[in-house]
Amino acid sequence: MNLPIPYPDPMPLPAPVWLLRTLLLLTFFLHVLFMNCLLGGTAVALVCTMRRKSSEFSVRLAGDLGRLLPSVFAFTITLGVAPLLFLQVMYGQFLYASSILIGVPWLAIIGMVVLAYYGVYFFSMKGHEPNGKTTAVLALVVLLLASIAFVYSNNFTLMLAPERWLDLYHSNASGWNLNWSEPSLLPRYLHFVLGALAVSGLGLVVMGLREREDGYRQWLIEQGSLLFTGTTLLNVGVGFWFLVKLPGPVRLAFVGGNGFATALLGVGMLLPLAAIAHLIMAKANKSPKRQLAIGVSCGVLTVAAMVVMRDVLRNLALAPCFSPNRLPVAPQWGVILLFVLFFIAGLATLYYMLRKAAVATRMRVAATQKLQ
Amino acid sequence: MNYPVWQLGFPGGLLIAAVAVLHVFISHFAIGGGAYLVLTERRAYSHNDSELLGYVRLHSKFFVLLTVVLGAVTGVGIWFTIGLVSPEATSSLIHTFVWGWAIEWVLFFVEIAAALIYAYHWDTLDRQTHLIVGWIYFVAAWASLVVINGIITYMLTPGRWLETGNFWDGFFNPTYWPSLFIRTAMAVGLAGIFGLVTAMWEPSPLRERVVRWAGWWLVLGIASLLPLSRWYFHDFPSYSRAYFSGMYTAVHHALLGGAVCTGVALALALVFALIRPKLMNPVVVAVLLVAGISVMATGEYLREFSRYPYVINSYIYANDIRVGQVESIVANGVAKASPWVEGSADDPHAYGRELFVIECGSCHSVAGYRAMRKITRGWDAKFASEILLHLPAVRETMPPFVGDEHDRAALGRYLASLMPATPSGANEKELGQQVFAIHCALCHSVGGQRRPLDLKGTDPEGIAGMLGTLGDINPDMPPFTGTDAEGHALAVYLSDPRQ
Repeated sequence: MNLPIPYPDPMPLPAPVWLLRTLLLLTFFLHVLFMNCLLGGTAVALVCTMRRKSSEFSVRLAGDLGRLLPSVFAFTITLGVAPLLFLQVMYGQFLYASSILIGVPWLAIIGMVVLAYYGVYFFSMKGHEPNGKTTAVLALVVLLLASIAFVYSNNFTLMLAPERWLDLYHSNASGWNLNWSEPSLLPRYLHFVLGALAVSGLGLVVMGLREREDGYRQWLIEQGSLLFTGTTLLNVGVGFWFLVKLPGPVRLAFVGGNGFATALLGVGMLLPLAAIAHLIMAKANKSPKRQLAIGVSCGVLTVAAMVVMRDVLRNLALAPCFSPNRLPVAPQWGVILLFVLFFIAGLATLYYMLRKAAVATRMRVAATQKLQ
Repeated sequence: MNYPVWQLGFPGGLLIAAVAVLHVFISHFAIGGGAYLVLTERRAYSHNDSELLGYVRLHSKFFVLLTVVLGAVTGVGIWFTIGLVSPEATSSLIHTFVWGWAIEWVLFFVEIAAALIYAYHWDTLDRQTHLIVGWIYFVAAWASLVVINGIITYMLTPGRWLETGNFWDGFFNPTYWPSLFIRTAMAVGLAGIFGLVTAMWEPSPLRERVVRWAGWWLVLGIASLLPLSRWYFHDFPSYSRAYFSGMYTAVHHALLGGAVCTGVALALALVFALIRPKLMNPVVVAVLLVAGISVMATGEYLREFSRYPYVINSYIYANDIRVGQVESIVANGVAKASPWVEGSADDPHAYGRELFVIECGSCHSVAGYRAMRKITRGWDAKFASEILLHLPAVRETMPPFVGDEHDRAALGRYLASLMPATPSGANEKELGQQVFAIHCALCHSVGGQRRPLDLKGTDPEGIAGMLGTLGDINPDMPPFTGTDAEGHALAVYLSDPRQ
């Protein structure tokens, strides 16, 4: 069958594939962490505002999340820009084609992000005293974020299925499409959304670890561990469903056909189990800090493994027709060096500002407590 | 050609314009506004003015809500939109400048972090550190303009890049510096306008103090636009400088509108901000906002228009077809070059429509914006397919038709089908006038500015004779395809065009 795959850009890649891929995966990993905290965090905040009458800690958590979420939103977007950039360099002809086919929902993401963002700011201003209005706004935000995630799942599965493009284009060229006929669409989407909830559970554990007040700290850790454990166990099942729905050759690669892919899947299943084990054991531990930290680290490493696995899946799915490794390369080393310098300077500046802000906040909190 | 075409029912360029104008309006404010914040804060400290400090604190919250949310997200929005509308050009830009964008991303990151820390740490950070964070914000924001400006100006004037393909040749191109200065001036002016917006929330007499202070920013920014525009325009490619000579009504109107808005903004700023700040009120601020966005939109429109027929000058045409591809598509036909067309076998009309979508759809719609129905009214298929051979001669802003003979005939048939009309008139002169409208008015005017035809007093028979040899007069003229009677009527009209 002749697939309508656009030819790649005639210009060579401006950097070696390994560098582009490293940056793609690194920045995407960071993006996913923040995105998960955003999606899961707003869902948690929604539940908190619904429980505002029965749980004092819920009200408190809603207030804390209200302070955090606008920044989490900002960094979700900022960290999302970089992977999208590197993805376009390597896989542009697939991504542009699939984006155009679902043009309307794809562009609607921008409007949905703006709405959700302002919703989060609204919650941030009212989060310390939640009411019905905040609950309604948060419900809308969660719905918008979940819809954005769904459109992403559609595009990133459709870009791997050029055999479906012509039918979609000829049935609707105005971009009113979604990738409904993709068997792995729903399990993939659910897998990622449940993963987001799980990671936000880890976020609660981290918030607990940084909390000074005993009761609230324990509650945060408990709720976070519970959220992580529950969603992760559920996700094991969804993960199998996802695996079963993958195209035959790709699935086979993950169950023995390809050593690296299979090992990754193994690691990706063991790490969350290790995380759960540590979170449970920490409950019985008198000074659980270390154990919790290990549990959280295992959870974060799971995300890293999943990010690499997702990339392996993409390359396996495209293998019959494309690999970025076959593209000509002409690295712009001078500009790459300049980027590295900017990157280091940017990190240093960021460190300087965050440190100053953190120290100043701590001093202010201490001063306030002294006054009280 | 290489990609599917997103068929919106209107040219995708309009969508880009809508998202882009909103974005540049906010993003230029995000740059100038950064300097406005720190300098206002410093002013408040040095004058020991706690009221002014209260104002700048409030302004910083407004600033973050507008720039970090709507400004940043619409920036990503432009990227989404250009990928959907001009994927080929977007891919090319990304391949050429990915590391420029990567640097831009670092700056964006620092910018966002600094903006949030600045706006939410008024009570925690000491004054000195708070000011430093504000300066970090401004430097990162302006530096992101320094980077993106190279990519935007490259599209209009790629300069030596066309020969060398070198990143820096494309980046520091002929319009880089004037554009950087003009955008910086715009940023300063917009900082003033938005400073006035939040000033309206303050009570008197603080309000007057802020109005005067913001007014200086506005006047400084707007007043520098005129000399900077002249410099910028001077470095435009020579072919596009000709577009400004009055031959395009849209350009003429845009220039006029831009000049009026600039003048209005300057006059309002002088009167209501500097001379009588007490009189400044929300209505005037609203007018200034509208004037500001209009100036910005005009500038962007003229820059984009000047790029025609290209989206990347001399490299990719406005309809996303690469200049380097033209030869092979002309030789082999569109159906071979594009996997997205269904071909002509079953339905030639549908094939013509597909060609229209690919080749014309980025600038023209059938019945809406730049409607083809108005242009092709009364065309016959032969005339339409002949016109397609001469598009760059018809309008300097149009890319050539790309395709083989079969494609050209199919698109010609489709265009002719859009608005069939047979010329008719109460007398020969009226008929001639209609024939002129159909066959000549696309390129010529009678008594107008655009390629005027002055044949008044010429023998009609002589003119009718010339209609058979138009190609000899000018190889860019398509043959006259009307009937003999229509030809004669046209000749009568041209020999005495008075009503």
